[in-house]
Amino acid sequence: MRSSERGTRGAALIVAAVVAATLALGLAACGGGGGGGIEGGGEKQTEAVKLEGKPSGSLTISNWPLYIDSATVPAFEKESGVSVKYIEDVNDNAEFFGKMQPLLAQGESGGRSVFVVTDWMANKMHELGYLQNFDRSGLPNFEQNLRSELKSPSYDPNRDYSAPWQSGMTGLTVRTDLAPDVHSICDLFDPQYKGKVDMLSEMRDTVPLVMKCMGVDPGEATEQQWLDAIDKIKGAVDSGQIRRFTGNDYARDLTSGDASAVIGWSGDAVQLQADNPDIEWRMPTEGCILWSDNMVIPVGAPNPTAAEAWIDYVYEPEVQADIAEYVNYVTPVEGVKEILAKREPELAKNELIFPSESFTKKCTIQPTPTGEEEQKITAAFEAVLNG
Amino acid sequence: MTLGRRTVPYALLAPGAVWLVLFFVVPLYYMGKLSLESGTVGALKFNWQWSNYGDALSLYDTQFVRSFAYAGLATLFALLLAYPLAYAIAFKAGRWRNLLLFAVVAPFFTTYLIRTLAWETILSDQSPVVGVLDFLGLAPGGHVLATGGAVIAGLTYNFLPFMVLPIYASLERIDERLIEAAKDLYASSRQAFWRVTLPLSAPGVVAGTLLTFIPASGDYVNAQFLGSAGNQMIGNVVQSLYLKQTNYPSAAALSFVLMAVILVVVLIYIRFAGSEALMGEEAR
Repeated sequence: MRSSERGTRGAALIVAAVVAATLALGLAACGGGGGGGIEGGGEKQTEAVKLEGKPSGSLTISNWPLYIDSATVPAFEKESGVSVKYIEDVNDNAEFFGKMQPLLAQGESGGRSVFVVTDWMANKMHELGYLQNFDRSGLPNFEQNLRSELKSPSYDPNRDYSAPWQSGMTGLTVRTDLAPDVHSICDLFDPQYKGKVDMLSEMRDTVPLVMKCMGVDPGEATEQQWLDAIDKIKGAVDSGQIRRFTGNDYARDLTSGDASAVIGWSGDAVQLQADNPDIEWRMPTEGCILWSDNMVIPVGAPNPTAAEAWIDYVYEPEVQADIAEYVNYVTPVEGVKEILAKREPELAKNELIFPSESFTKKCTIQPTPTGEEEQKITAAFEAVLNG
Repeated sequence: MTLGRRTVPYALLAPGAVWLVLFFVVPLYYMGKLSLESGTVGALKFNWQWSNYGDALSLYDTQFVRSFAYAGLATLFALLLAYPLAYAIAFKAGRWRNLLLFAVVAPFFTTYLIRTLAWETILSDQSPVVGVLDFLGLAPGGHVLATGGAVIAGLTYNFLPFMVLPIYASLERIDERLIEAAKDLYASSRQAFWRVTLPLSAPGVVAGTLLTFIPASGDYVNAQFLGSAGNQMIGNVVQSLYLKQTNYPSAAALSFVLMAVILVVVLIYIRFAGSEALMGEEAR
């Protein structure tokens, strides 16, 4: 046994050394980090970007994958003389936030001058003081061509810091052969479809739509109304009405017939319908949720002049037509439909890409709770998802 | 140029120790600090918020119990499938042995995610598998996907090789002359198995169950794709707290509680199963 005792003492020494080294490292890192890390930042005043003459130099843009055609960036480089580094590193709002947050808290943007994030994330970043306001004098096209229904979302009524990149609608995606009679969000609660209904795990899509079914205007909803809608969803989970909560993978359930009616996105439906003619996106009788992914300029963004030049460039209808033709979402720019009507009449007629004002009249711009309310409501919704 | 006898072992340990410090102990330290903070992102404060731990346990006890139940069942099923398989490969396979071993490992050439997604198709409502199960009365409500059963099946499948390989390794090392000796002493095949083969393969069984149970308890992929709202495991809660609710302190506290619970469960198990079995003959 003597040898094993010596072994134990040796092991204890090593553990002690490891702990000591860790503490030393930890302290060193703490000393160096200053107010960084997750706990720093939080100043709320928002500064506006400062424009400096004509755009030049280089520009780094972060966007979602497959969200632009291949011609627009080179054309912008040629026209403006700015060299663009276009990176597709946004896959998920929360994940991107987690990645950028420690930098943003220290007033840095990791070299990026433009991000594209969804409404609620733009709002969250703005509240934390991570974004700059636009200088509207550099954005004449944006001023003139932004679609009217997108002009004043509740979180940024004057569009001071967010410019829609593309928009989309959240509503009903159904199998017309399995659920021909589903036309409203309320129909999803019909026991006839028990176990065949999926809802989105994205709270800001699912809960506001359920509120609409309950006769509540999600744009004006109180904390209690959010929680009531979450309760209704919980009831449907407990009774087995809702099969599961999904992201884009509801497409699989619809294709296999495991689900017959789901809450889904309009942009997906254009593609899904091409593969399976029985799948159809329907505008709920209660109306839809209208969301946008927005271009924002973060704090510490290098070359904001070029950033604004880029934002304004994509608001030229001719340029936007190229993008819209490629991505098939709802374009936020007026005048694109007329251009595409000549180029690709089928596309121009599609209400999912160019919804008419009457088509979207009951739709609500995607709402989001904020601050402590947000934390409480998200926790309640996630509690249903993780039952 | 002679290093002291006493320093050689430390020199040998140094690279591993540095690795552990940098990528395990340092992150652990930050997680520990984070778990005692309070407030929302952007305004987190370190103030010894021990209530994070109490909340983690009281809010998510259901998911804890569920995780360990699912992981335990998956471990049991994996053992029941793996032991006969490993036994057949070790003793009966002859020249097919390497091919069979390859077949056990082959699924690893595809990613974990794809293998799990394949189960969505296998267990889809219209699939023949579910048709048969339904006929046998084993698919209440007519569907298997999006139930706890599907999650357990996915876990069992995904961790099966971790069970097969250690058991195979310990069976393969058994000196067959010991079994012959048992038979010479008038043991029946069954007795020889229970009194000789099984005890000698115990280290493999213990290692296999640990390699299955520990990662299975923390898994979240199977529950996410094969389960429904009532089948989510503790890993899903941690993911949701981190990425969706950006409640970093609670997520960190929950991770620590999970680590502690697994540690306790494993210690009890090793005590019960005997560390000799785990270490094999070297411990004696």
